[in-house]
Amino acid sequence: MNNSLLWQVRAFVYRHFAETTYAPSIEDTGRHVNIKLEEAGTLYKELHKRHVFFLEPETLTIRMANPFSGIPTDFRVHANGKTYFANCAWDMLGIPAALHTDAIIEAVCAESNDAVQLEIKNSQVTNSDLLIHLPLPFARWYDDMVFT
Amino acid sequence: MLLFRSEEWIDKWCKRSNLKRGEVLTITQVWELTKLWYHDRLSLDYHGRTVAQAEEIFKRAGLTSAFWYI
Repeated sequence: MNNSLLWQVRAFVYRHFAETTYAPSIEDTGRHVNIKLEEAGTLYKELHKRHVFFLEPETLTIRMANPFSGIPTDFRVHANGKTYFANCAWDMLGIPAALHTDAIIEAVCAESNDAVQLEIKNSQVTNSDLLIHLPLPFARWYDDMVFT
Repeated sequence: MLLFRSEEWIDKWCKRSNLKRGEVLTITQVWELTKLWYHDRLSLDYHGRTVAQAEEIFKRAGLTSAFWYI
């Protein structure tokens, strides 16, 4: 395993999410890093195995590169003139933290289904009466990332 | 990790989902935690973190219950 290439792939995937809001395809990644698709696939699987990002089962499609989501979710983060999707309530705050920027976040209360909005401005969060529930202890987070 | 408007809605969700209540944090607590957790995620030097490093972040965020430690 070429570690230099492995981390180049990771860096490209994250930069792609930050710049475009969505995951690069395996073809995009192979082209960018100048490697064959088969090698790109091997590196994707290794990064999945190391919990660097997470692939859809039995595919080379990136589902999550936390805090970014590869699919639409109930957690929308408007930042830098773009709209990102986060994987969960934790990650909706993780996106402005990773981008080091202000943001407006639109989300939904998981039980009442009420729409809620909060803002990150000057490194402070508004709407501070909201709560986040974490059903699983840290020791079990990686058992099933989609559920977590 | 889901968002709720109040404790009451968390209790209803747990009952409906037939799940035990886990850890509940305020949005401000999670914001402080995510800044520690994600601030370097786009750095070229970020190569993942060990369990010990993750637990150190929880400690710095003031999260001390058994929920956060392996």
